[in-house]
Amino acid sequence: MEQLMMSSGPHIHSKDNSRRIMLDVILALLPAAIAGVVIFGVKETLPILLTCVIAAVLSEFLFNLITKKKQTVGDLSAVVTGLLLALNLSTNVLWWQAALGSVFAIVLVKCLFGGIGRNFANPAITARIFLLMAFTSKVAGGVLPDGTTGATPLDLIGTGAQLPTLLEMFLGQRGGAIGETCILALLLGFAYLLIRKVIRWEIPVIFMGTVFVLSLLFSGFSFETALYELLSGGLVLGAVFMATDYTTTPITLRARMWFALGCGLITFVIRWFCALPEGVSYSILCMNILSPWLEKWTRRKPLGGV
Amino acid sequence: MSLKKSISSLKLPHYKSTAGMAAVRMPIPKEVLIPLSPMNAHHATMSEPIVQVGDHVTVGQMIAREKDRGASHIHASVSGTVTGIEPYAMGNASGTAIRIESDGKMEKCPDLKIPQPANLDEFLQCVRDSGVVGLGGAAYPVWAKLSAAQKGHISTVLINGAECEPFITADHRVMLEHGDLIQKGIELLKQFLGSEEFIIGIEENKPDAIAQLTERFKDDPAVKIMPLSSVYPQGAKQVLLYNATGKVVEKGQRLASLGVIIINVSSLVKMAEYFVTGMPMVERIITVDGSAVKEPKNLIVPIGVSVRDVVEACGGLKEEPGKILFGGAMMGKPQESLDAHIMKATNAVVIMNRKEALKTEPSPCIHCGRCVAVCPLGLNPTAFARAMELEDPAAKAALLQKEQVKVCMQCGCCSYVCPAHRPLAENNNAGIGFLRKWEKEHPEGGK
Repeated sequence: MEQLMMSSGPHIHSKDNSRRIMLDVILALLPAAIAGVVIFGVKETLPILLTCVIAAVLSEFLFNLITKKKQTVGDLSAVVTGLLLALNLSTNVLWWQAALGSVFAIVLVKCLFGGIGRNFANPAITARIFLLMAFTSKVAGGVLPDGTTGATPLDLIGTGAQLPTLLEMFLGQRGGAIGETCILALLLGFAYLLIRKVIRWEIPVIFMGTVFVLSLLFSGFSFETALYELLSGGLVLGAVFMATDYTTTPITLRARMWFALGCGLITFVIRWFCALPEGVSYSILCMNILSPWLEKWTRRKPLGGV
Repeated sequence: MSLKKSISSLKLPHYKSTAGMAAVRMPIPKEVLIPLSPMNAHHATMSEPIVQVGDHVTVGQMIAREKDRGASHIHASVSGTVTGIEPYAMGNASGTAIRIESDGKMEKCPDLKIPQPANLDEFLQCVRDSGVVGLGGAAYPVWAKLSAAQKGHISTVLINGAECEPFITADHRVMLEHGDLIQKGIELLKQFLGSEEFIIGIEENKPDAIAQLTERFKDDPAVKIMPLSSVYPQGAKQVLLYNATGKVVEKGQRLASLGVIIINVSSLVKMAEYFVTGMPMVERIITVDGSAVKEPKNLIVPIGVSVRDVVEACGGLKEEPGKILFGGAMMGKPQESLDAHIMKATNAVVIMNRKEALKTEPSPCIHCGRCVAVCPLGLNPTAFARAMELEDPAAKAALLQKEQVKVCMQCGCCSYVCPAHRPLAENNNAGIGFLRKWEKEHPEGGK
């Protein structure tokens, strides 16, 4: 008889694994990616999507190779980062800018902090902000579905200019980043993540709900304005896919709920009172930094502990 | 109680295919090796042998006397000749065991009498003589647990029939087959402890046991059958107590100070049996199951019988074994070979095949928070993992203390859910071990 295993319990395990979770996130992002391709055109979007994903995976692969670390590209998290970044860029971005964003996200924000699970800031969001700073007009300039550059609905709210209808907003017929405009597709992804129990509903709902409620209050109870705020910019994309990132959010649900509330608050303040048209990315990055403190502030006494 | 917050728990596969199988007595073994400790534990609480090699012994005869409060009297489980008093490895500790060659007669000890206690002290002495220990796993002597009644009133007895561990159905069978003894046990506790409330907590996956016991106690207002949701670890002390009574044992507190004791249903039945037959604890029901076992069964086995004989009684193995567990799939203790021996607190033998026994290589933590969300006690296993990576022992101890690793009850939920397959429960255990040692060495800073 061969040697028996002496490892301690538990001796059974759930079927989940990290790679499967990442695969689920990729699958959940696919509707938004496909919608982006349909709305903004294959030629305009596909090269950006591919560039971001390939650059992300390649830079993680090379980083591990050069620093002689265990290869981690198999966990698919670099694919998620690349894909998320691409969906956060407009079709105006140049291919090398997109690639640079991926390298920045993977090498500077993720790998240098110790790789998967160790970075404190969301790589895709930080890279997007970096690109915004470096090449403002190219990255963020609203590209309309017909390919012309123009103002996004967020620029237009309150100016009295003609806005897309709410249905057009819901289906994504408006200017913006590749993956942020089609709310229907994002909600499909959200539903999938909920069914697969990858994320919980609390974070996206609290995040979006906070923006909605504050917009309602500050617009003198204009449901229309609040709905436009909800469907505009990167709110849904950010709330569903970035504010739910495991690594850069607190570990307890209680702290995650405060995290979501903070995101909603900052997003609203930036949108409503600041010069910037959009605040989702900045709000998430801000709250990423606050995460450890949120965990600390919301700590509860364990059962039978102090 | 409507505002009561619920305790996190886990829905596990039950693997309780033996639930419908009545316990059958295994053939008389040729030999038993009775470890002088009630369970395979790190703490080597031993009993002292009072027989010598060559002695003839009969079933129920005391062969070892308890040495301290954690130990119990040990009785011969077969009749025959003592052929050895030998060293015996028990987990990480080493102990002693008495080997008896059976004469095949199962001759009863002639000195056994049906005990007739008149008061609490006498009752406790009888329970002590019975050698019954906590059969749910902790193996703490039942008399010592009940002796809390000497210090303060025990108003509530919580009878643990949750049996939340996958595979095990031994308690389930006991509840179905020995309702009379449950009743007898409750009467004894009513009489001598004066307890007013008896709650039998049973998971809903045992509807037949719930129905039978509800019927049996329908005229007794003191006894309440409480169906519990079938989640793991429903049978853990803190969890069961909270779910059944809403109470919590706070740090530094003892359960008995709340006026409550928790007793496993099989322990209660074993205790009651002694007062009916006069036979001390020499046998028990165990569940034998797992993918490598040909005919899974509930078996009545003499204490000290080898796993090899138990397997034989279940038609042998159908596959190469990969892991042999005493206990269930979550908290079971791995055994080194088929030559391990059944102890009083062994409630199951689970034998997995090689494929199931293999563990997946861990990958880096992705901070998903599932371990935190599932922890029934609200601990953060990732913090313990972070602590154990620290080089400086003082910093390590400080973080472990702050995160209260010692509250952990080793239920294993965190490891079970971890998508990175990290050995969190194992790490918690290592943390507890480290902290205990460190606090002993640093009594000043051990706060």
